[in-house]
Amino acid sequence: MIQQNLKELEERSIYIIREANMKFKNVAALWSMGKDSTTMLALARKAFLGKVPFPVIHIDNRIDFPETYSFREYLTKKWKLNLIVAYSEVKPDSIGSACCGRNKPETLKKIMKEHGFDALIVSIRRDEHGIRSKERYMSPRNQKFKWDYKNQPAELWDDYASKLDPGSHVRVHPLLDWNEIDVWSYIKQEKIPVNPLYFSRNGFRYRSLGCTHCTVPVKSNAKNVADIVKELETTRIEERSGRSMDKENEYVMQRLRSLGYM
Amino acid sequence: MIVRNITLLGHKDHGKSTLIGNLLMLTNSVTQIRIKEAQKYSKRLHKDFEPAFILDSFHEEREHGLTMDITRAEIAYKDVAFSFIDVPGHEELIKNMISGASYASTALLLVSAQKDEGIRDQTKRHLFIAKMIGINHLVVAVNKMDSVGFGEGSVEDIKNRISGFIGKMGFQGKNVVFVPVSAYKGDNLVKKSKNMKWYRGKPLLDLIYEKSGHSGAKNDGALRIVLQGFLDGRRNLVTGRIVRGHIKIKEKGTCIVPLDVNVSVKGIIVKGRRVKGAKVGENVALELEEEIADEVRGSIMCGELYCPIPKDLIKARVFLTRPIGKSLSIRFNGVEISCKSIKPIGYIDPTTGETSKTGRMAGLSVIDAEVKLSKRIPAERFEDTPELGRFVLYSGKEFAGIGTVL
Repeated sequence: MIQQNLKELEERSIYIIREANMKFKNVAALWSMGKDSTTMLALARKAFLGKVPFPVIHIDNRIDFPETYSFREYLTKKWKLNLIVAYSEVKPDSIGSACCGRNKPETLKKIMKEHGFDALIVSIRRDEHGIRSKERYMSPRNQKFKWDYKNQPAELWDDYASKLDPGSHVRVHPLLDWNEIDVWSYIKQEKIPVNPLYFSRNGFRYRSLGCTHCTVPVKSNAKNVADIVKELETTRIEERSGRSMDKENEYVMQRLRSLGYM
Repeated sequence: MIVRNITLLGHKDHGKSTLIGNLLMLTNSVTQIRIKEAQKYSKRLHKDFEPAFILDSFHEEREHGLTMDITRAEIAYKDVAFSFIDVPGHEELIKNMISGASYASTALLLVSAQKDEGIRDQTKRHLFIAKMIGINHLVVAVNKMDSVGFGEGSVEDIKNRISGFIGKMGFQGKNVVFVPVSAYKGDNLVKKSKNMKWYRGKPLLDLIYEKSGHSGAKNDGALRIVLQGFLDGRRNLVTGRIVRGHIKIKEKGTCIVPLDVNVSVKGIIVKGRRVKGAKVGENVALELEEEIADEVRGSIMCGELYCPIPKDLIKARVFLTRPIGKSLSIRFNGVEISCKSIKPIGYIDPTTGETSKTGRMAGLSVIDAEVKLSKRIPAERFEDTPELGRFVLYSGKEFAGIGTVL
């Protein structure tokens, strides 16, 4: 896995987060309590003199891990976050297993409309999945939350999408250029608090965190952040291999995305 | 590791995706899962193993065999990582091509050695755009050498045919290098090929490494800070990015243009920490002695003595991606400014680099023009300060082209 220059990544992310906050009227961020969105919050604190200036949304399907909930409470208090919890129902999906993949987008739509958010910061990374390589730093979604990836606005020279139709919003991706190992190296460097589920217990750890239904741990002895960085330097296995959603169908992400989720 | 962006140019049949797919495999930059996935798709589409499938991620791209949008691939090599940006070839997707290329420093042009496939107008146009937006270094890979018997003649032939217009487009001879390769078989990609002993140069990755090593950021020279806005709504606290030069605390003679106010910086904050000075590339929050009444977004901070004179009439080279209407605007330095008129003073053929006095202002045409704006902007020559010498053109709501200040 390629480790990039953290200083460069950090500067770019801070620039994008500031741009989003100054360009749009009503910005919010998705926070899953995972390592990526927590790192994004750490960057936002750097960009805005120690305080996250926008509300953070947790789409809660009530089946996240207990560790995740306590981490949510801990960091909300510590970093004085303006947390919005939006509850999402768990329903059976097309192949019969209980799943939140189809219900989360609806919940998000509702909460965005209620608050009138015109920009949503989402901490996706380009290296997570091939499809995500199509994303831009700022990527518009129409009123129905659809992502028209074939007809995206030009994004060049740090001049990001700005012409918005009423009812549409922009997804902002400050971590797009980061790789998994960059995130962990940055967490190590900045001592950013993380969900304890990422660390190995009885030879297993979570590498990518979803809810209790779709996430399975991977074999690992990495007991702390430094161990994880070391592990990633040599691994040849993809990060989301512990997420069942991806295994079922490689186009799930594309469909989820075109629905506007994530 | 420092990432160097490389834009990939060439016609779709000339093997761009195959090249990147193979480079990913040869440098161990891709996981086994991706390779297996690509094998599966090759089989499903009744093809021999196609390295391109490692790269193309969308279902439609695989089935139709073309790249719809920007695709990136990261390849670690020596102490750097190359981020190859593969851009779509189709004319209607030219804005995607420009978007991808705008983040690169070096271009890799892939040309097929097969006689009937030569270099096409579309590729020449892409090359023109690349040069126009500031890509000065070019590696030309002559591909499909395996299909022409690995002969030296094919490379000489291509060199003779394209060196002329590469020069006319503004590339300097010393910044252009040729290498014969087979993207499919792997010759001269990472290691020197045994099939082409006549070739004395380095393999492709080494050449890209050399060419992409020239960086453009200027820490010396006159200060330029692109201002983003007020932090926390405080009129004496502004954020911005230093695009040229450096700033020190309490430095005298600093001003904001085109607001025409003098300011003194009493505090500099970089990434949450108070510092005494900041340099090019850094994002800063600046505490000023003065409160600024007007909006700062769209303005720049610079030294009084060496500041650009704001103008509402600029001379620029404009690449039009579509015919333009009456309601024109440009996006410059983070803001939108309406554009009163664009008056052509020269017409450039982007497939040859030649200028003429007459021509048309249609889609995919290039003009040198006088651009009249509704207000003054702190523009500078693109050559001097790229960040303040470029703009994006809109016709109504549609992206209509790009411009560089002459």
